[in-house]
Amino acid sequence: MRQGLIHQWRGWINRRIPRSDHQVFSQKNLFILPTGAGVVFGILLLIMLITGINYQNSLIYLMTFVLGTVFIGAMHQTHRNLSGLSLSITRTGEGVAGDDIPFYLRLTAGKDQAVAIQVSVEDSVIEQLHIPAGSTKDVVLPVPSAHRGYVRPDRIRIETRFPFGLLKAWSWLRPSSAALAYPRPLVAPDAGSLVDDGSEAAAAKPVVGQDNADLRPFREGDLSQRVMWKRFARSGQMVVADWQGEQGSPHWLDFNAFPGADTELRLSYLAWLVADRVQQGARFGLNLPGEIIEPDSGYAHGDRCMRALAAWGEKPPRDQDALPFGTRKSLDASYKGAAE
Amino acid sequence: MSLLSHFNLGQADNADSAIPAIPSGALLWLIGAFALLLAPQWDRLPWWLIGACAVLAVWRWLAQQGKFRLPGRWLKTGVMLVLVAVYVATVQGRFTVDTAASFFVLAVGLKWLETRTARDFYVLFFILVYLAAVNFLFQQNIVWALLTFAAIGCLLVGLQILNAPALPGNFRAGWRRLGLLLLKTLPIVVLLFVFFPRMAPLWSVPLVSGQARSGISDSMRPGDISNLAQSSERAFRVTFGGSNPDYRDRYWRGLILDYLDGETWRQRDEEPFRRLGRVVTDAGAGPLAENEYDVLMEPTDQRWAFTLENSVAASSNVFPAGEDLFRFDRPADSPIRYRMGLASAPVSNATELSPVQRNRYLQLPRSGNPRARALAEDMAAELEPAELVNELMRRFREQAYYYTLRPPTMPEDGVDALLFDNKRGFCAHYAGASTFLFRAAGIPARIVVGYQGGDPGAGGEYLIVRQYDAHAWVEVWLEGRGWVRVDPTAAIAPSRIESGLREAVEEEGSFLENDFTSLQRYQGFAALQWVGLQLDRINYQWQRWVVGYQGQSQLDLMSRLPGGMGLKELGYITAGIVGLALLIAGIVSGVSLKSGERRDGFGRAMESWRRICQQAGVPVRSGETPMVQAERLALARPAVAESARTFARAVNSHYYRQEPLSQGGEDLQRLKRLLKAIKRQLRHDGQRRSTGPDK
Repeated sequence: MRQGLIHQWRGWINRRIPRSDHQVFSQKNLFILPTGAGVVFGILLLIMLITGINYQNSLIYLMTFVLGTVFIGAMHQTHRNLSGLSLSITRTGEGVAGDDIPFYLRLTAGKDQAVAIQVSVEDSVIEQLHIPAGSTKDVVLPVPSAHRGYVRPDRIRIETRFPFGLLKAWSWLRPSSAALAYPRPLVAPDAGSLVDDGSEAAAAKPVVGQDNADLRPFREGDLSQRVMWKRFARSGQMVVADWQGEQGSPHWLDFNAFPGADTELRLSYLAWLVADRVQQGARFGLNLPGEIIEPDSGYAHGDRCMRALAAWGEKPPRDQDALPFGTRKSLDASYKGAAE
Repeated sequence: MSLLSHFNLGQADNADSAIPAIPSGALLWLIGAFALLLAPQWDRLPWWLIGACAVLAVWRWLAQQGKFRLPGRWLKTGVMLVLVAVYVATVQGRFTVDTAASFFVLAVGLKWLETRTARDFYVLFFILVYLAAVNFLFQQNIVWALLTFAAIGCLLVGLQILNAPALPGNFRAGWRRLGLLLLKTLPIVVLLFVFFPRMAPLWSVPLVSGQARSGISDSMRPGDISNLAQSSERAFRVTFGGSNPDYRDRYWRGLILDYLDGETWRQRDEEPFRRLGRVVTDAGAGPLAENEYDVLMEPTDQRWAFTLENSVAASSNVFPAGEDLFRFDRPADSPIRYRMGLASAPVSNATELSPVQRNRYLQLPRSGNPRARALAEDMAAELEPAELVNELMRRFREQAYYYTLRPPTMPEDGVDALLFDNKRGFCAHYAGASTFLFRAAGIPARIVVGYQGGDPGAGGEYLIVRQYDAHAWVEVWLEGRGWVRVDPTAAIAPSRIESGLREAVEEEGSFLENDFTSLQRYQGFAALQWVGLQLDRINYQWQRWVVGYQGQSQLDLMSRLPGGMGLKELGYITAGIVGLALLIAGIVSGVSLKSGERRDGFGRAMESWRRICQQAGVPVRSGETPMVQAERLALARPAVAESARTFARAVNSHYYRQEPLSQGGEDLQRLKRLLKAIKRQLRHDGQRRSTGPDK
């Protein structure tokens, strides 16, 4: 029942606020409600009115009416504080999984100034933004990421309680762009030898993937996927395909170089290796199943590799997805989903 | 951004998250409001409490400045215990509105030590708002009212600073914003004030203060009224429908003292018990008739109303209590307005005095004042009652009796001492002595206590009766004539009755001799008098029309409007006003937004771009960038490919440009030109397509 209501509410909001990196706030998509203090204030006004009635005190009536209309006026002011304001995502940043990923936002005030605006996503909050009428302000909103891959909060909330904090007006930006969370770099296991090899192998001819695979007899500890089963069926010999990259070719950072490690771990190793290579100014290529990046050097190349690592095997979130994607809250949501 | 910078995102710059819990500006306004709200209560609160509040507030302020620390739990508890102990010691178990108010203030004062977070700030805000309402229960004077509203203003400015501490120019902008807000909502406030139905009180609420009020009391010892004569506080103000009666006829009857208990005159019967009515402060409404007068009385905490002789009640909040006296439903704990009519014939023209009554009005202590008794017996032997009364008055007039505010003390046999030895006294002395003498002579007599006189206020529109106009006189019962007023003071000091106490004691120089702050004392300074009277006039109108705007006056005002509205209609109107206010707020924000959009050329350009795409058969998908959209348009209608791409690039550079955009400017012109071009191209393209197959 409750879930159903929440679902309907979400659907209603999502219809009003289409997924977009740019949102102009207006009556259509702004919501306004009293805050806790506002509710107490209302009760206080009621008590004051009763006091006024009971003591037939005109001045208490007068004060109640003044404060009551101030409340109504504040409703208008709080609303106007947000309406006409536009919020857009200028760029999504990158970061390491588990860290906060920056979203670069631009706020443009309409013809009224926007005071004490708060932009938040999940636990991350930017408070007290003041934007004079007609001008813009750029802010960076850190979005906590849960794991490697695409990160896209379902909604970025924008809120204001100015002037009196008795009412809050809020709305959302439902971003369509996603940011990327890189795998968290972990020192790769046989890093030492790789680094040593690095210098002398720099001139070596680039080798491409499986074409140069060596075949060798099966040893204890080899993964069963590596066994050439066709050959086994033909000849009865357990032969393992062993290609050069796996030996730690200095030019190629290879997904398959870490037998036994699980996918995310491999990506983390690779991330560390990429950062390491870039720092050394070395030339390297990245070999991921399904995606190969030719050797190159420099920061741009490093960024490209990192993005490839981050996005590997992940699908970008679709517009229709109405759930946070890759943020910490998304984990909660999926846990909850699993529990029910 | 370089690659490595990705790795230290942990320290994103969040410098402005270190805002102190309560901004100093906000706290300062809160403290200011507290001070303003305490001011109207200064004479109601014990001095130590005001001192403690000041210390606690200053402590909080020093803590804010970092010069002092807020107390820890133990110290705080200690301070609280000490203050509560002092409170309990001074209150001594009395429970009155004053002690309750003191406790309220004490609690607010202690709260200062606990105000750390924004939430505490709101708690204090609410308490102080209610304190303002409580102030109005006790003080309805325009000056205090304005001060209280100023305090509310301070509170609201403080809230603004709390909600936007870093906003530059907060102080001035806050007041301006608040002022504009109040100005805009003023019509609604006025409408609500006029139309909100003034219901009867929901339950009875006594508001009796333990504080002694100056004013006449229900017993009179010889010196009592001369003390009162040292006060220039206002007792009541009167507006007459017709012309003001002569000064000498302004006898305001309050109560009758008919029982002599040693030296003290009392009422024989306690006031008959009457269930407390609810507060009814409204007078009868409508313009005053020629023979009516309207009294606005300051609170006395007593139930008696002051009226001229032969009055009838014209408003429902007073009722006749017999003997030509009037009473309220409940003690006048706040200013009360009532209306009386003057009857053309005497109202209570009782021709007979029952034996019980005769006994009552002849009562005297068994002994005391032998010389006075002897004189009375002598006179009674020779004279008819009416002649005896005249004879006594003649004696007062012709012998050297003095009217003085500094009477000598007359400890024993006071009547004898006054009549034969000192011959110096105040109205209470002479009224008491005369009544004694009449009774001793067998003439039923009683003392009437009230006020005599009243000075015109500014413009002569109304009379102000002050405490120093308090007076006591005598009524005697004469066969065939009923109760007749006899005022010994009129015989001794005619100027007291003709023009007031000031004239009567001018030689003595004792008028308000102890009251240095009273404006009335400085009669010589005309400007001062003028200012005082103008202030009083403003206050009077304020109290009559704003403070006194209650049920009856509201209904009266409504009855003058077409439609004959009752409470129910007023309820509808109020609901309508509130609805209207909300609607206006909604419409205003809607309109201002629309105009904002209209001014936003980019928004409009984007809108027409969306329309063009729609017409061209490639509706804009949500979240799609203009670039992608342009590509799709180009695919569908190759004729406009080039202009569509150019347009999309222009839009992109608008949205994602680093420097703030130039308002309006060339970009917008360019976008508009492009849009026009696209439209034209589409039209041509469309024509060619539709005509194409025909050729």
